Amino acid sequence: MNADVVDTGVVRAGVESAGDDNAGTGAAGAPWEPKVVAFVCNWCTYTGADLAGTSRLKQQPNARLIRVPCTGRIDPLFIIKAFESGADGVLVSGCHPADCHYGTGNYHARRRWTLFRSLLEFTGIDATRLHFSWVSASEGRKWVDVVDGVIDEARRQGPFERYHALARPEAMIDD
Amino acid sequence: MTESATNDIRAAARRLLADGTVSVVIGYGDAGPNRTVPIFARTAAQADRLVVSHSALNNLTVYLTRALRPVGGRIAIVAKGCDVRALVMLMSESQIAREDVYVIGVACAGVTTSMGQPMSAETVAAKCRDCIVRTPPLYDELVGVQCEPPATSDVLDRRIAEIEAMSAHERFDYWAAELELCTRCYACRQVCPLCYCTQCIVDRSVPQWIETSASPRANLSWNLTRAFHLAGRCVGCNECERACPAGIPLSLLNRQLAATALREFGYVPGIDPAAPALVGSYDLADREEYIR
Amino acid sequence: MNEYRITQESLQAFVAALVADGLTVLAEAADGSGYARLAADDRVAIDPSRAPSRLSMKEHFFPKSEALFEYRREDGGFVLVDRLPEVRPTVILGARPCDAASIGILSKVFNWDYRDEFFNRRVDATIVIGMLCAYRDEHCFCTSVGGAPDSIAGSDLFLVPLNDGALGMRVVSDDGERFVTAYAHLFEWGAPGDPLQVDEALTLPSVRFDAEKVRGWIEGHFDDPYWSAASETCLGCARCAFACPVCHCFDIVDEDRTYGSGERMRNWDACQFGMFTKHASGHNPRAARAQRYRQRISHKFAYYPSRFGEVLCTGCGRCTRGCPVGIDIGAIAVEIGGMAS
Repeated sequence: MNADVVDTGVVRAGVESAGDDNAGTGAAGAPWEPKVVAFVCNWCTYTGADLAGTSRLKQQPNARLIRVPCTGRIDPLFIIKAFESGADGVLVSGCHPADCHYGTGNYHARRRWTLFRSLLEFTGIDATRLHFSWVSASEGRKWVDVVDGVIDEARRQGPFERYHALARPEAMIDD
Repeated sequence: MTESATNDIRAAARRLLADGTVSVVIGYGDAGPNRTVPIFARTAAQADRLVVSHSALNNLTVYLTRALRPVGGRIAIVAKGCDVRALVMLMSESQIAREDVYVIGVACAGVTTSMGQPMSAETVAAKCRDCIVRTPPLYDELVGVQCEPPATSDVLDRRIAEIEAMSAHERFDYWAAELELCTRCYACRQVCPLCYCTQCIVDRSVPQWIETSASPRANLSWNLTRAFHLAGRCVGCNECERACPAGIPLSLLNRQLAATALREFGYVPGIDPAAPALVGSYDLADREEYIR
Repeated sequence: MNEYRITQESLQAFVAALVADGLTVLAEAADGSGYARLAADDRVAIDPSRAPSRLSMKEHFFPKSEALFEYRREDGGFVLVDRLPEVRPTVILGARPCDAASIGILSKVFNWDYRDEFFNRRVDATIVIGMLCAYRDEHCFCTSVGGAPDSIAGSDLFLVPLNDGALGMRVVSDDGERFVTAYAHLFEWGAPGDPLQVDEALTLPSVRFDAEKVRGWIEGHFDDPYWSAASETCLGCARCAFACPVCHCFDIVDEDRTYGSGERMRNWDACQFGMFTKHASGHNPRAARAQRYRQRISHKFAYYPSRFGEVLCTGCGRCTRGCPVGIDIGAIAVEIGGMAS
């Protein structure tokens, strides 16, 4: 896991732009690797991911995890920010319905996600790069399957050039 | 809307001010041919400037938000159906109590797209076509005569359908090109009665969630975030689009999200003050087939 | 004095030649949005009777966002890379006088305590071909602030519509003279043609207020309740400031583009924003809308004239036409002038 998390909520995942070559290894000249940001709830998915680690389950290193108390904390702005910062894929994962540590956070999140996906679709922002899952604290295996799936999908889709191209200074120059 | 509606508004305002029911009447003031401006009438003389017309474009409910509300006493407001829907949202979000506002509802025959135009099939606002509140859903008294505005084309829905028919790449290029024009004046936010946060997310600098530059990427972030924060709350008054100096078709974003809210959750904002907020509530059966 | 005579065909050829020579050509867009780039084959229409666009040509000299420099983290320190613009030579075709005048007005503050090369480079690289304005509505007041529909202030060349549908183009500045010699072969040169007769009542706005009197009243009435009354319906957006040809307040922010590198940006800002004067301590000397609106009027009609000898307003009326609540700066100036008497 390669995530810098400051619990005041500052999102600083150490994600570099699509212009940089390699996500995990930093080796120049290596084939392009996707960058994935995963927003995970503390009580379920983060713990499940930790279980995957202690169980020595092998998973790809491309995902940077950002731990939030609950998926209900996630403002879709975080997802936009992740894409802005260079993510090629974003995963949002939390407790199964009825298992939320705070009772109902994931129900609110679920509604938001349905609306947000519609907005992304309408504005042509590739909603297939945004994934959602319910992963419980005991589902280490599922975590690996989910995160590997997201990374594989992002690798297949390629760099999120369209979005990242917005950041380039050339996009701003009026000449 | 007829001259008698204007006379009725003036009489109502004079009465409410004279008998102390309210300390101010927020309404539309005559500002020349086919032109109105918001006015705050506190005297009989000022009340005689009130009008009801096809140029009553402003959503005056914005003046009932905490930041803009005149202090001291009960407030009367002249409100069309779309404006009352915004008021219903403010009430349901605990921004104003029903008893603090006296609503002079306007049975509306449509408004024009912009100021300075007489009403016609060419100038009628697109939003008026499928208005569901020609008689406002809530009022203390009603003026005007409800009737159909001139038939307008379904230009908004056609435009949305055109965009939805594009490929994802084309859609992205379309919105990126439109939003590149955004100057970040925040006129869209300031005219919106539902954008009442004491500190807007874009004004938060620690951390700076949304960059303040009028760059393509920051403009996309701002406009998407604002549209999303209005999901299930926007009542379709389209003032944001009228206020935009860059001519961006903002109403399409909000309208499309409103259609999603209706289709997915059967939700229409601003009709029933007792209805729970869309994103503030949930149903155990909400769809989740896209969640692994 | 001789002038060039330009037909519609030679105007099209002129634009094509400019574009072929690698110049940027800007003209007011037909949809009223602002000054937009012309492609070689775009149909050019110089229409003096068109209403002013929603946004002015200010963006060309003072972009809504521009990078001042880049910063990059390297070897434990920072490397700064200047982003002074290499401005492509530009022609603004058909600038109305209330826009052309903005250059001289803005140049004062952009060359006041230091020389703003970002602004100056853009001005120096631009030829302004002004145009006689034949539009007027109740929101115009150029003649009250030292302008006029036929004012050549800020123009290098100036277009006048002729009776027969062609345009007369007069040379105004040395830069204009030098510039036009490369294209003079496209036009006829000779005695001035008959100018198109336009109703004077339409084109010559009567003076609506005395700017000096307005300044005097403002300077003596900082705490007047008038400011609250005038701004009661203001929503605090910045449409007026951003549409204005001469409003120039800006904000400077650093934005990361990637982790550890980014740009220092200069972005349009406005005194109408609630946070404009918010201090790091949390104190805000202009917390109330009325105070902010007072600042807007005072800066334009009192402070800037006192310091630079120019009213910070060209009377174009864009702010009023665009204001979502119809606040009318011309009417306010008239009211203040009336109170000053």
